[in-house]
Amino acid sequence: MKYSLKNPKPLDPSLVLKIIGGLAFAYLFFGFMLMPCLNTLTSIFTTKDANGNADPFAVIRFFLAGNMKNYVLNSLKLALCLVVTVNVVGVSIVLLTEYFDIKGAKILRVGYMTTLIYSGVALVTGYMFLYANDGILTSALQQAFPNLNPNWFSGFNAVLFTMTFACTSNHMLFLRNAIRGIDYNTVEAARNMGAKPFTVLFKVVFPTLLPTMFSLTVMTFITGLCAMSAPTLLGYDSINPEIVRLAGSSTADESFPQARAALLSIMLALFTIILLTILSSYERKGHYLSVSKTKAKLQKQKITNPVVNVLAHIYAYVLFIIYMTPVVMIIIFSFQTYGAIRKKTLDIKNWTFVNFFGKEDYSYLTSRGDYKIREGSISGVFSNDDTLGGIQTSFVLSVVAAAIACIIVVIACNYIFKHRKTGTVLEYALLFPWLLPTILICYSYRVFFNNDVWYVFGQNLYYERRVRILIILAYTVVKLPFSLRMIKAAFYTIDSELEDAAKNLGESPIGTFLKVKLPIILPSVLAVFALNFNALFTEYDMSATFASSHAKSYAMIMQAMTAEEGLYGYNVNASGRRCASTVFIMIVSGLVLYLVYGVGSRDLSERLEAKKKRKAFFDRIFRKKQEEPSEKAA
Amino acid sequence: MIRLENIVVKFKDFTALHNINVHVKEGEFFTFLGPSGCGKTTTLRTLTGFIEPAEGRVYVRGEDITDVPIEKRNIGIVFQSYALFPTMTVYDNIAFGLKVKKLKKQEIDEKVRVIARKVDLTDEQLAKAVSQLSGGQQQRVAIARALVTEPAIICLDEPLSNLDAKLRVQLREELKKMQREFGITSIYVTHDQEEALTLSDRIAVFNKGVIEQIGTPNEIYNHSATEFVCNFIGDINRLSDEIVKGLAGIDPSIDPAKHHYIRLERVHVNDTESENTFRISGQVRDREYYGLYIKYYVEAGGQLLKVMERNDGVHIYEPGDTVTIGISPKDLMSYEATETEAKA
Repeated sequence: MKYSLKNPKPLDPSLVLKIIGGLAFAYLFFGFMLMPCLNTLTSIFTTKDANGNADPFAVIRFFLAGNMKNYVLNSLKLALCLVVTVNVVGVSIVLLTEYFDIKGAKILRVGYMTTLIYSGVALVTGYMFLYANDGILTSALQQAFPNLNPNWFSGFNAVLFTMTFACTSNHMLFLRNAIRGIDYNTVEAARNMGAKPFTVLFKVVFPTLLPTMFSLTVMTFITGLCAMSAPTLLGYDSINPEIVRLAGSSTADESFPQARAALLSIMLALFTIILLTILSSYERKGHYLSVSKTKAKLQKQKITNPVVNVLAHIYAYVLFIIYMTPVVMIIIFSFQTYGAIRKKTLDIKNWTFVNFFGKEDYSYLTSRGDYKIREGSISGVFSNDDTLGGIQTSFVLSVVAAAIACIIVVIACNYIFKHRKTGTVLEYALLFPWLLPTILICYSYRVFFNNDVWYVFGQNLYYERRVRILIILAYTVVKLPFSLRMIKAAFYTIDSELEDAAKNLGESPIGTFLKVKLPIILPSVLAVFALNFNALFTEYDMSATFASSHAKSYAMIMQAMTAEEGLYGYNVNASGRRCASTVFIMIVSGLVLYLVYGVGSRDLSERLEAKKKRKAFFDRIFRKKQEEPSEKAA
Repeated sequence: MIRLENIVVKFKDFTALHNINVHVKEGEFFTFLGPSGCGKTTTLRTLTGFIEPAEGRVYVRGEDITDVPIEKRNIGIVFQSYALFPTMTVYDNIAFGLKVKKLKKQEIDEKVRVIARKVDLTDEQLAKAVSQLSGGQQQRVAIARALVTEPAIICLDEPLSNLDAKLRVQLREELKKMQREFGITSIYVTHDQEEALTLSDRIAVFNKGVIEQIGTPNEIYNHSATEFVCNFIGDINRLSDEIVKGLAGIDPSIDPAKHHYIRLERVHVNDTESENTFRISGQVRDREYYGLYIKYYVEAGGQLLKVMERNDGVHIYEPGDTVTIGISPKDLMSYEATETEAKA
């Protein structure tokens, strides 16, 4: 059939969908990735002097002349030191649990993995509960050593100590997998040729781990550079807390704070871009792949020297104690009364759930010598309005953002795998936020959308409750690169012949996507959704950058609990609630990880097997119940 | 039944198929055979509608289906990987095409169970996930899925290539049995010449986007039309000038300028009885024991000849033994020297 102006070709629905999709992605990329960040970049060069004249290099002069450099130097110092300490601890815990034969390795592994279920503010406040000037351990130490400075756990050393143990999660995930992938035959071959155990470790095992260690080192460096919760809570002048402080400041208080914050953000972005470029060029060189056709499972190596063996065991258990003490203490004290927590002593006789549920009144002695009652001043996580509000806000914002990120990425991946050329452009656009520190994105949003912006219907998105939309957008954009990497990997597992088969059996492209492709990638998508939710639910850095009273996240509420305890009889059990909050976060994270790696990774055959077992179980129960009355009747 | 007429397929500047002409009869088991990249799968995908030809037409039962969409061609496909949907049970896999056609639930159930019985799948297996089945059972599911919609043709794209040797032989037999039972016209794609010879009624041998020969297994093996086909099918000896000259002494019609080949089983060791045979002395260099047969590498007439002898348990030669090689001129396959030498 020939088409003409009088007889136009009907619009192909898939083409219409592609145009709509393309426009939506362009809107997302230009509107919520490029424009706000460009605005931040240009704001550095649009400063004005006291006479109102443009002075494009004022901030840079300020940076070079004043103490702004210190924030950058402090961050670099922290990042560099963290690279050393995190690798030392990270590599040790992996070797101790996976490579060397250490007694009780299974228990040790559980201890070392605790950072997977609590991190960020929850972890820092946990450490503070132990080590801060009124912490349990500090109080105990002060009784033993009265001259001990109660503020010993603050500043650089405290940040380094806390972050060292907080940042080993990636080692436990990725380095552990890498070491498990080693072909044991190579170890045996080296031993057979006369190499001693530690020679094997350094000459055979370590070289295969180097690519993973390099990636972990770069990621640790970036984490150190972008550190937020630990420096904020433990008091260390680094870039991110300073950006947040400047973002909330005004020209009335100090010289061009917004432009200074922008400069620091851009510097952070530059560092990140350089490091990620190094990382990706290193990754492109390729990894050491096992050429073995029959890979042998790694067997634990006995440390033959008895002295070294004892020292290794001592080292392993000391690390275990460092990892486990905050967790155990937090769990125990979350069931203790405010009195016990204040005295930092365990009250075996009095256990309570009040830090989780319910409210209690608090009576206190006034300066006039009479007792006053503050009603409901002792309250649990799920009874305290502020905490509950924080949980609700974080829950809703995280669920919505995690879901949107997954939907965008699933649609994008489906396109990327069908259209190689334009797909690559789309892929890079979605990876763009990876180059930018989250603080830069949030700071840019806060500044750029704190005006009426034409392409968001002329609204100010930072205004009052609209900030929640802004936070959802920021959460979504920040989670796009991670979601893309994970979901794209899942798309690779789809056999292209499946699509052909569905097509051959008469299914439409949308039907094929929904009935064939989506069910295959769904476990991965749900896993990414769960991991995104987990990270966002307890995040502090971004919500603190937005610093809006209309969207106080759970982590912000927890952070506030460290300061507000018992003031004028309010929030008497803030520390207890803080412990209970951490326990709650551990349960949520643990549950999410179980759903992702335990239930979510089951394939259809395993699910059918489980269904069969369930059916057999219920059949047994019902048969018993049916038999019981008949037995009674007999 | 199926007619591919002057099919040309191009991928940008590269021409993958040059003027392909095939005519497949009703109920025939027809095989596209050739090395990787020769165009056999491209031809199959053109027939099934995944590839649009630049030139030429595709006919099924006289109807031009060149512009008919994939799903309306009524052609069942068994893919190389079987392409079974991993998130569905065996039952749902087989029922997929029927559900797309929006048949009634009861009708779907009936059809699925009938086809399942025909391919020897039990009710218990229907409730399983495809990953719980063996390779052979998975193949039967793929065949059942392709046949349940009652297609006019079934296309099988190297369905045995992912399996181990023993299973391959077993499934080959099952496949042939099923094809005979259903009586459906089948197009089979493979690079395995043994598979093609044992399964097919007729074979089309592909090379570099053209069909070199179409014929029965016997025609293809014993009367290879081109030097490529002769090299690609089975093992073969190309005879040296010295042996060819000797053979020309017996049969003057042999042209020494041509390339002359002989199958391994047509070369005889220490056969003194056959008439009109060129004989030459040689030395056994190596031996491979296959049980039913023994393969000898004999140095004779300035070349290393491969010889396949039946193992009678008596006449067994050791490396170093001197033997007489006999070649009959009637067993030669000869090709013009100008033809491109192809490597099997």
